[in-house]
Amino acid sequence: MTAIADGPPRAGAHRGRNISKLVIRLGAFVGFALIVIYFAFTARGFTTPYNLTNIVEQSTILGILAYGMTLVFAGTGTDVQRGGIDLSIAANAGLCAAVYAVLMRAGYGGYVAVPAALVTGMAVGALNGFAVVALRIMPLLATLAVMNIAEGLELTLTENTVVAVNSPLIDTLAFGRFLGISTLSWVFVIVSLALIWIAHYSRTGLRLYAVGGHAEAARAAGVRNGSYVYGAYIGAGLLAGLTSILIVARLSSSTPGTGQMLLPVLAAALLGTVFSRRLIPTIGGTLLAALFIGTLANGFQLLGISSYWVSGVQGALILVVVAATSFAKNS
Amino acid sequence: MTIKTFLNTTIAATVLLTAAPIMAQDAELPAADVPSLDGKTIGVTVIGTDHHWDLMAYRGQIDELESLGAEVIALDAGRSDQTQVSQIQTLIAQRPDAIIQQLGNIDVLDPWLKRIEQAGIPLFTVDTATPYAVNQSTSDNYSIGAQLALQIVKDMNGEGKIAVFNGFYSVPVCKVRYDQLKYVLESYPEIEIIEPELRDVIPNTVQSAYSDTSDMLTQYGEDSGLKAVWGCWDVPMIGATQAIADSGRTDVKTYGVDGSPEYVEMVADPDSPAGAVAAQQPYAIGQQAARNVAMYLGDEEIPPFSFLPAVLITKDNADETAAPFLPGAAGETSGGETEGGSSSN
Repeated sequence: MTAIADGPPRAGAHRGRNISKLVIRLGAFVGFALIVIYFAFTARGFTTPYNLTNIVEQSTILGILAYGMTLVFAGTGTDVQRGGIDLSIAANAGLCAAVYAVLMRAGYGGYVAVPAALVTGMAVGALNGFAVVALRIMPLLATLAVMNIAEGLELTLTENTVVAVNSPLIDTLAFGRFLGISTLSWVFVIVSLALIWIAHYSRTGLRLYAVGGHAEAARAAGVRNGSYVYGAYIGAGLLAGLTSILIVARLSSSTPGTGQMLLPVLAAALLGTVFSRRLIPTIGGTLLAALFIGTLANGFQLLGISSYWVSGVQGALILVVVAATSFAKNS
Repeated sequence: MTIKTFLNTTIAATVLLTAAPIMAQDAELPAADVPSLDGKTIGVTVIGTDHHWDLMAYRGQIDELESLGAEVIALDAGRSDQTQVSQIQTLIAQRPDAIIQQLGNIDVLDPWLKRIEQAGIPLFTVDTATPYAVNQSTSDNYSIGAQLALQIVKDMNGEGKIAVFNGFYSVPVCKVRYDQLKYVLESYPEIEIIEPELRDVIPNTVQSAYSDTSDMLTQYGEDSGLKAVWGCWDVPMIGATQAIADSGRTDVKTYGVDGSPEYVEMVADPDSPAGAVAAQQPYAIGQQAARNVAMYLGDEEIPPFSFLPAVLITKDNADETAAPFLPGAAGETSGGETEGGSSSN
């Protein structure tokens, strides 16, 4: 975070940092644009309207989970290397999907299963908050432990099998369309707009960024930091719960392996920082990053390139982004 | 698990995962007069290629499609259901002339396979039974399941307990094989399937099966009546067999399906606890799926299924049957006729 007032002798360094940030930000946008242009010319069917809506749809689950990670970044330290993290978010979504699917199969119906999934997500988020705030465990280790708890509970509930779900809500989410756009994409749009307002325009959001950006200053200004860290983790948990319903809709079932989404989620949330003006995690930046990763995965598929490469590229992106932002902030 | 057994298990898993690419191709189909696929684009989507069977069937499709002149868009989902769903969606956007889909969870796949059909793209499957496909290329899993079950009954002398790995009942071929086992056992009430069932997993299949079987052997000692461990495929049986061998028990045997070279080698070894394996011809199954596409697009009649023959390799017949399935076996022409009700097959 660079909110510390710089005196006149450091004006040159400050200007240098701003130029570095601008270069990185421009590089990110140009990189995104070049990749889109490359796929448009080389990948059959890339620019068809059906495929473009596919990209949005295929980025929805990743995007909403990455929003959860972004909230945690925002509230626990906008410098992603020194602040908080939620390694449990993908496993949490897997657990919520299992809760939802098992309750549906047991005949409880959506009125019970949907709230149960959301509450499960928030409970796991609260556990993260408790471990980080009350027990003062390093977020990396605290959320790693909670990730294992969530994975264990998911396996216990599903016995590591596929639990099929069939309901009108699932059908609408998976295959419904409104104004030519799929329901899943609409959910992405609505959640994105709501979170942009909450994180960047509401009082709560601004305080959250204040706590993450400069905890001491926020505390001095009378903000109860702990509550906002709890709130960030619980919010991430709620988004994991919401995503779990979308995952079950897309796969018509709860399946093992949701936890594997952690790498792309982390990549999207980190990559999102280079799309923001101050190189901090923002919902808009994460939205672009999720679409960027979705575009990469889609383009690779169209070109017949192995999906394993997508994982490699995501890993490389994390390294490049963290290195570049760290360089820009320290230069 | 001791360090030695852990190393053995790990080495076996590593050999299994790395041997396939350098092995000679599986048994191939004999040459046949099949229409050309020149100018056609065919999409192929598979849930994963990290096991011998999956990789051979995948290669069989791609090699045959390319040799028939098709442009192939081949996509491997890396064992992720979400990726496979995205890949199917992406393939639909590309409007290929046909799509071949291989393995996966039917509950996840069926709604998306339906969309392929609705998009007017002919769908062919490998080891996936679905009403939306023109044809399924596979082994006769009904027969495989029953034959293996009868072999177990014979080896168990009609009584005792079976531990089963049932982690993939949502994969159609596993469902058929397990249902057949239970159907056969209805006639042999002295044989009991141990509950709760074990769960085979992907990844870490061999290691996980080793540890589950070790626990099972501890729980069910020599006087317990445990005589068999069954799996709907044979990769977990590699771990199970090693666990039994390492425990020194001679009263328990393992049984699986597919014909992974390492497991066939165990069955052929008179001292190994591997009892029998139904060995399939995955490469030929993949080739058959490709030929079915060519014949369909060439306006020929296609039956709803194409069965490729499988061989039940047991301790008694391994001398005559195991050779073509052992590691490093040279590719041999099966000469096997497919069963599917069409003379063109």
